[in-house]
Amino acid sequence: MGKNLTLTLKPDGLRTFSLLFQQGVIIKTQVGCSFREFLLRDLGLSYDFQEARIQTLFINGKAVDNPEKAIVRDGTTLALSGAMPGLVGATLRRGGSYASLRHTITLSEEEDNVTKKEGQVVLKLFNLLVSEIGPILLAKGFWIKGEDLEKFARNVQGDFWSHWSPVLLNGQKMNNQVLEQMVWAPKTEDPILIKITFSPDPSSL
Amino acid sequence: MDKILRINMGAKGGPKASEEPVGPYAGLGGRGMTSAVVAKEVPPTCHPLGEDNKLVIAPGMLSGTTAAMSGRLSIGCKSPLTGGIKEANSGGQPSQVLARLGYAAIVLEGKPGDDTLYKIFINKDGVKITPDNSLKMLPNYDLVTKMKAEYGDKITCISIGPAGEMKLGAASIACTDMEQRPTRHAGRGGVGAVMGSKGVKVIVLDDTGKTMRAPKDPVKFKEATRLWVKGLQGHPVTGQGLPAYGTNVLTNVLNEAGGYPTYNFKEGRFAGAAKISGEAQAELETARGGKATHGCHRGCVIRCSGIFNDKDGHYLTKQPEYETVWAHGGNCGIDDLDVIAQLDFLDDNYGLDTIEMGATIGVAMEAGLIKFGDGQGAINLIKEVGQGTPLGRILGSGAAVTGKVFGVERVPVVKGQAMPAYDPRAVQGIGVTYATTPQGADHTAGYAVATNILNVGGKLDPLSSEGQVELSRNLQIATAAIDATGMCLFIAFAIMDQPETFQALLDIINAFYGLNLTADDVTALGKSILKNEREFNLKAGFTKEQDRLPDFFKKELLAPHNITFKVKDEDLDQVFNW
Repeated sequence: MGKNLTLTLKPDGLRTFSLLFQQGVIIKTQVGCSFREFLLRDLGLSYDFQEARIQTLFINGKAVDNPEKAIVRDGTTLALSGAMPGLVGATLRRGGSYASLRHTITLSEEEDNVTKKEGQVVLKLFNLLVSEIGPILLAKGFWIKGEDLEKFARNVQGDFWSHWSPVLLNGQKMNNQVLEQMVWAPKTEDPILIKITFSPDPSSL
Repeated sequence: MDKILRINMGAKGGPKASEEPVGPYAGLGGRGMTSAVVAKEVPPTCHPLGEDNKLVIAPGMLSGTTAAMSGRLSIGCKSPLTGGIKEANSGGQPSQVLARLGYAAIVLEGKPGDDTLYKIFINKDGVKITPDNSLKMLPNYDLVTKMKAEYGDKITCISIGPAGEMKLGAASIACTDMEQRPTRHAGRGGVGAVMGSKGVKVIVLDDTGKTMRAPKDPVKFKEATRLWVKGLQGHPVTGQGLPAYGTNVLTNVLNEAGGYPTYNFKEGRFAGAAKISGEAQAELETARGGKATHGCHRGCVIRCSGIFNDKDGHYLTKQPEYETVWAHGGNCGIDDLDVIAQLDFLDDNYGLDTIEMGATIGVAMEAGLIKFGDGQGAINLIKEVGQGTPLGRILGSGAAVTGKVFGVERVPVVKGQAMPAYDPRAVQGIGVTYATTPQGADHTAGYAVATNILNVGGKLDPLSSEGQVELSRNLQIATAAIDATGMCLFIAFAIMDQPETFQALLDIINAFYGLNLTADDVTALGKSILKNEREFNLKAGFTKEQDRLPDFFKKELLAPHNITFKVKDEDLDQVFNW
């Protein structure tokens, strides 16, 4: 069984995760559903929110025009973005008028009789969606490979572990020095579950 | 804006200025003006650095008014980089100021008989042209500091750096921003070299004592402007995304789409993209006391620019744009925002087009001069350009020349101009525009659109090449029209999505000029501009063979989607059949 880390997030801590969310985190979920269903079920994003705020979507780098017909499979990479500027931004937009300009990288609509099963996907968030959907991911928890945790730690300025004190590893409070010495990326390990507790109050985020 | 200022730099006895009514150019502004003058007055076969070429500097039709977003300046000529007609476009303050001084255009003509360098000062009292060789080889920042000391702190400047004085193909023309820094550039096509060939180092403008240009119908103008601003601020791109992250918000998305040209257009994804994204850049700027939201000219309500400070919190450069971050970043394998910002500063200071220089360094890396990812090496190469070393002069002449000198096959240029930050194999339609626009590889040429002037997705199969061709044609027409107004092209998303916002733009023009323009008139304006430009290029010797992408785009598969450019040549030849 993989490790789970509980980090304590201070009010300005969300932006520390910005790079991580842009690079992608792992969500364990029931795959074989539509993109629309995934966003609703796993992230709690209403239809109205999806229509208004998620203007650009990708599955494995292919632009999605119809989230009802796009299927989330095991191991896929999903990416969400707000509206993008310029012609190319408009071209990549979900169901946009200029979609024909990028037809070679458009996801073809799929059949929906795909077997549903437990699996995992990588989810990336870009621009305004980092602050709009990021807190949902933090509250829900997400998984991250050990090597990505190490990179995350290197990218945060200053003493990484002191940002999150107190830190619990598998439920046990850990000393910062011990955490710094740990090897997070042995080859055989499962991804690490990251869960967040908020300090002092969620509404302060 | 009822007069044109002509400055003959080669007149007997020294440069001479004369003013004349706009005459046959009445009603034109921005790119409409520059392309009309160049098409009519410049012999298409002339040498771009010779006395017969002209540099036309024109504010837009709405510049100098209280209309938001109207601060763009067009600069046109025969391009020394492409050999065809060129319109380069810049933000900053000069367009507003020049328009309020009453000039529809400044036309620099002729050529001095020696290498004397001139400064030109224009205010409400007239024009003063003064030789000043103490300005020779001054970089733009030092030059503007000197001009402020001489002429006061209410000025705005249009200038060239050492690159323009050396007449290099990648030389830009700098325009000062609201803080009087030379951070906005008419970058493309070597327009700075033409200004250098005219012996003009700087044009200093001061509109003290002048007022905003007054509309014919102030009541309608005010209401149209109110709706215009409301539309821009209410749209998620112009009201939220661009102010928060600037144009560099495109990095992550283009990268995800596999259309982010990486390692000199070898691949479509860059592993370091998130580290140099708009999101990362905004956070870094804010943490260092800079700004992630900042306008380049007064009257801008989108404010897509910013201020980038160094590690110690001191000003380094304006927030680098998407094109700059890509050109010096992913295209060169560099994932360090500080290195990219330093390169941006050097480009601005020496007066260089960041797209052309980034593409050139990418070609230099391909040639093995330095390794991909070598940030310090890239900085050293740009410094060579600024110093005018033999290698620097090669690099400063652009990607095509550099590729030729070093025997590189993969050179991403069309009509001699380097491609911007979208790989045409991933976004095939942008490739149609790159290939066919009279401007050379240009991402802004087919940029703006309004749904109610286009038959979008109407008659033809959108997946067919014909569908892409028609779209590119319509986009080029609409963009040309927008370029004539002085409006920033980033209004495009709002006017595309919100017909009422496009209508507000039409109402602003109509209320200001007392006209009744419709969307069809806008289309006609765009067509006439493109017609001028196409005809000039044909007379300059261009054929359909120049309306092509480099061969490697048809042959080399682009990862991660493993695709090539598939639009047929005969379809590209249909773009201008209307």
